[in-house]
Amino acid sequence: MSNNSQQELPLNYFHRVSSHRGQAPNAEIFNGEVEYALVVKESPACAFLSLRGDPNDAGFCAAVIDILELNLSTRGNYHCSSQSRIYWLGPDEWLLVSEIDASVLEARLREAMSGHISIVDVSGGQTMVNLRGAPMAIDSVLKKSCIYDFAGWSNAGSGKGRCAQTTFAKASALVSNRTDGSFDLIIRRSFADYIALWMLDAGREFGLRIEG
Amino acid sequence: MSQNRLASHTGAVIDFTFNGKSYQGIAGDTLASALLANGVDVVGRSFKYSRPRGIFGHGAEEPNAIIQLGSGASTVPNLKATQVELYQGLEASSVNGWPSVNFDVMAIVGAFGRLMPPGFYYKTFMYPKKLWMTYEHFIRKAAGLGTAPVEADPDTYDKLNQHCDVLVVGAGPAGLVAAREAARTGARVIIADEQSEFGGSLLASQQTMDGVMAPRWVASLVAELVAYKNVQLLPRSTVFGYYDHNFLTILERRTDHLGLSSAQGTRQRLHRVRAVQVVLATGAFERPLVFAHNDIPGVMLASSVSTYINRYGVAPGKKLLLFTTNDSAYQTALDWQQTGRQIIAVVDTRSNPSGDIVAAVKLRGIEVIGGHGLIEAQGNKRVKRALIAPINASGTQVTGPVRRLNCDLIACSGGWSPAVHLSSHTGAKPVWDESIVGFRPGESKQQERSAGACRGTFDLTGCLAEGASAGAVAASLCGHGDGSVQFPACAVEDYIEQPQQALFLVPHTSATSRAPSQFVDFQLDVSAGGIELAVREGFESVEHVKRYTALGFGTDQGKLGNINGMAILANALDQTIAETGTTIFRPSYTPTTFGAIAGRDVKALFDPERYTAMHRWHVEHGAEFENVGQWKRPWYFPQQGETMNDAVNRECLAVRNSVGMLDASTLGKIDIQGPDAAEFITRIYTNSYLKLAPGKCRYGVMLKEDGMIFDDGVCACLGDNHYLMFTTTGGAAGVLAWLEIWQQTEWPELQVYFTSVTDHWATATVTGPNARRVIAKVCQDIDLSNEAFSFMDWRDGTVAGVKARVFRISFTGELSYEVNVPAHYGRHIWQALIEAGEEFSMTPYGTETMHVLRAEKGFIIVGQDTDGSMTPADMNMDWVVGNKKTFSFIGKRSLQRSDTLRENRKQFVGLKTVDGQAVLPEGAQVVFDAKQKIPMSMQGHVTSSYYSAYLGHSIALAVVKGGLGRMGQVVHCPLADGRIIAAEIVSSVFYDPKGERHHVE
Repeated sequence: MSNNSQQELPLNYFHRVSSHRGQAPNAEIFNGEVEYALVVKESPACAFLSLRGDPNDAGFCAAVIDILELNLSTRGNYHCSSQSRIYWLGPDEWLLVSEIDASVLEARLREAMSGHISIVDVSGGQTMVNLRGAPMAIDSVLKKSCIYDFAGWSNAGSGKGRCAQTTFAKASALVSNRTDGSFDLIIRRSFADYIALWMLDAGREFGLRIEG
Repeated sequence: MSQNRLASHTGAVIDFTFNGKSYQGIAGDTLASALLANGVDVVGRSFKYSRPRGIFGHGAEEPNAIIQLGSGASTVPNLKATQVELYQGLEASSVNGWPSVNFDVMAIVGAFGRLMPPGFYYKTFMYPKKLWMTYEHFIRKAAGLGTAPVEADPDTYDKLNQHCDVLVVGAGPAGLVAAREAARTGARVIIADEQSEFGGSLLASQQTMDGVMAPRWVASLVAELVAYKNVQLLPRSTVFGYYDHNFLTILERRTDHLGLSSAQGTRQRLHRVRAVQVVLATGAFERPLVFAHNDIPGVMLASSVSTYINRYGVAPGKKLLLFTTNDSAYQTALDWQQTGRQIIAVVDTRSNPSGDIVAAVKLRGIEVIGGHGLIEAQGNKRVKRALIAPINASGTQVTGPVRRLNCDLIACSGGWSPAVHLSSHTGAKPVWDESIVGFRPGESKQQERSAGACRGTFDLTGCLAEGASAGAVAASLCGHGDGSVQFPACAVEDYIEQPQQALFLVPHTSATSRAPSQFVDFQLDVSAGGIELAVREGFESVEHVKRYTALGFGTDQGKLGNINGMAILANALDQTIAETGTTIFRPSYTPTTFGAIAGRDVKALFDPERYTAMHRWHVEHGAEFENVGQWKRPWYFPQQGETMNDAVNRECLAVRNSVGMLDASTLGKIDIQGPDAAEFITRIYTNSYLKLAPGKCRYGVMLKEDGMIFDDGVCACLGDNHYLMFTTTGGAAGVLAWLEIWQQTEWPELQVYFTSVTDHWATATVTGPNARRVIAKVCQDIDLSNEAFSFMDWRDGTVAGVKARVFRISFTGELSYEVNVPAHYGRHIWQALIEAGEEFSMTPYGTETMHVLRAEKGFIIVGQDTDGSMTPADMNMDWVVGNKKTFSFIGKRSLQRSDTLRENRKQFVGLKTVDGQAVLPEGAQVVFDAKQKIPMSMQGHVTSSYYSAYLGHSIALAVVKGGLGRMGQVVHCPLADGRIIAAEIVSSVFYDPKGERHHVE
């Protein structure tokens, strides 16, 4: 029914934009002839579901394991499989990110759960970007953008990592780490342009480009 | 050429200009050291008396060498030449001394210095206002401190948020070893120092440490620190503020030393540091001695003379006379002698100086004159001679004949004042300590400790021991190490010092009030006599005297003058210094650029702009935008040659006559789920939602506890225990917070969850008599007939191939479909609808047309027609209040207050201008009697006003006292331009009062 050609990702108009636009021919920038220390890559559209419920409810936890094949993550952590991720946002709040179709996933979860829960499709309001590059440059961009102390995090391991919702410049982001040392940011659609401009500026001293 | 440069000191030559003249310096110079090398005596004029002034210090304490760097947009005012690193092509000028430092009209005023006594500014304020205008102009022109650039700042500044276990402030001996001890425990360490190189006093030290010269010892320790991955070194970085919760701010100057215009990248960076523990190792400032005409160029601090010799290879004179109250300054005699230049004598106020270093000086044949004071310097633009005389043991009186000694340089030392500024920022009150003749840091108010000279420990061995211990303890308090010092103590030879004499004002043969000015604060020309005069005029509190005399008000913030000033004040008040106390130091420690405080939050990044998924389409189609909160909403879509009025009239008519489309994505949307969702919503809104069936919508208003409307919108029942609440665009975040507060704090027993879905949905509102025909072209799976899908219903379906939720709600009064799709499909659906609407000339419209259309229908806009003082009854909306609900709703009780029930409250009505073409300005006041004299009785005001193209006349909404009972009456709106517009009070519903337009087939 819905198809990809009808979709437009929040950062659509920033794909192939770099912090050095105008200073190097565009082709060079994307052929890798100009070294870029930082790359911001927007993930393809996927399902984002807000999940609320009682983590002490065995049925609730079992439903999550059953359908996502993931345990509910605990404070400050996320769990991930090849298909899905579950981010802890609060004592009774998680964000599910999955390649499963949002309405299918919501229906499955609703069928498996009962009692006081909330599942809300927020796919259209979010986008996920990955920030990779030289560790020092990533560190600097995060320090320019967030007050949160990411250096205090343990490294991401197989199937899990750390996450935090925090201010990002004058907007907000859900930041998480990956095993490869890069960071994922989940940001709100309406702030995406602002955050893209901010990142291009913050990464300028190292060189930064945005990819789709 | 460089007459004062020592032959032993060489390096790359750097050209620069000062006050328009070309000079040469050497790599590593500061502007001050280069000027001294070139024999430049006069670098500025004093603020009040315009006396010629020369370089006095070598760091942040410098009061005289205040310069303006560069010109044009990147000019920087009020820098201290002692802190400006020399670079090729540097251009600097004195900030004070119009028209030139060497000939200054103010000097004539200076000759009549007593015309400007302490409290001059306060006193001139007291005179007739007219005169102040004259003074002010004159004072500002002649005595101003630099000029701010007129152009926009071309430089880039940014901010970093930093976290560390231990922040070490100052990289002198104590700070360096503190950082090393903390670093080895694995703690995260930041060490910051304001100078270009780490080492502090050691950079100019002649001492050996562990068998090597001090600067070499520093270099190897710095190399050690660099090797630690857990240590961040910040040279050229001033910690300028210490705030609550161990939050400190550091200004890092990244490119200033490279030149103003050539530099790329971030000029200055503000580090916002959250430290678990702090070690303050900020050192001490040498205190000048207060004697007559101690401000003549050629009078300097003893430690500064040593620094210029040892660090910069500059001997700032030919014939030195040293004047001291303590042992430490004798080092300067030894340093000076090494330059091969003449030293006249050391004048010591102590009757029998006898310390180790005194002996060493005497051994080298230098004359030491004990029991004497240097009571007056003489000379005009450079010291020519000094008057010395024997003084009594307490230092209060001249006791013998005056001798003249010729010299061109006077190095003075009145002891050392710990730099307690940062500790003072935390609220710790400095404590006077007689044994060090200075203020020590007060009891810690934060997780900090001082080490070394800033704590009153002035010998190197002591500084190193304290620093090491402070670093180890600070780290252990963060969970790193056991708090014990791990590195072996450094072997240094310290001279055993004899006690210093506490002397804050050197006596003169004349009384202080008669003696030539004995300056305490050089920058603002505060003299000892001035402080005594302030006391005679009745000022007693140190804070009052500070403000009255301007002591410590300059850009050096009294780093040199404060202690002497307070001591002189204490003496005049006949009390101790401890009783007198000190003024409070506040951030910033040194002046801080506004650019750094703003960082990157400027221009396009000043505030986020929020865009809808259709934003680019609007831009491509020439929309003008309106700010609604942070959102950019299309305001109107002008076509070629159209004015705003033309465009809005066209858009309005299109909607009324055929069909238009609005981007309504910005409306706040909150998903509400849970067994108690309906009950919760019913408590929040004034009406009931208990019986709202799935597929249905209802309009509601919500009140604050005071009964006043604060938001409104439609709420839809999506399913069992599942609702979607729409809020105003600007109110979205506030409403969500409001729901959470009531659920979490007042009604935790209600099971309900709220989730913002504002960003998830993109909304295209298709409205007008042809709306159904447009939707029908792109939506086949919803029965759009009035019977199957009636007003205030919603349906799920497929629109242009996308799963959509369609609401039949209307803010225009016309048949309306609000098509909601996940926002990634927003632009697709918008374009599909535009295409579908082509045959009906469907017109995109913006917020201005939306406002006109809703005003024609009398629909309120919360925040425009209401202002936080309007109840539903005031807005003629009693119909929305469900007084029969079993549970109360927020604000209900306040609706029964006598004030909300009283007659004559402002009520919401329509205004129809008598002259239909006259459009009332919004905000215009309404009066009943246009002939009443001013002040008129204001009876209300216009809240919304537009020209209605459809109705052919202007329409306005207003709140008028008792307005609902005044239908048909004519009121008047007197305008600021003198016109008075008459209008008839009418119903607020101008268009389709029976609401039939919703139901067109």
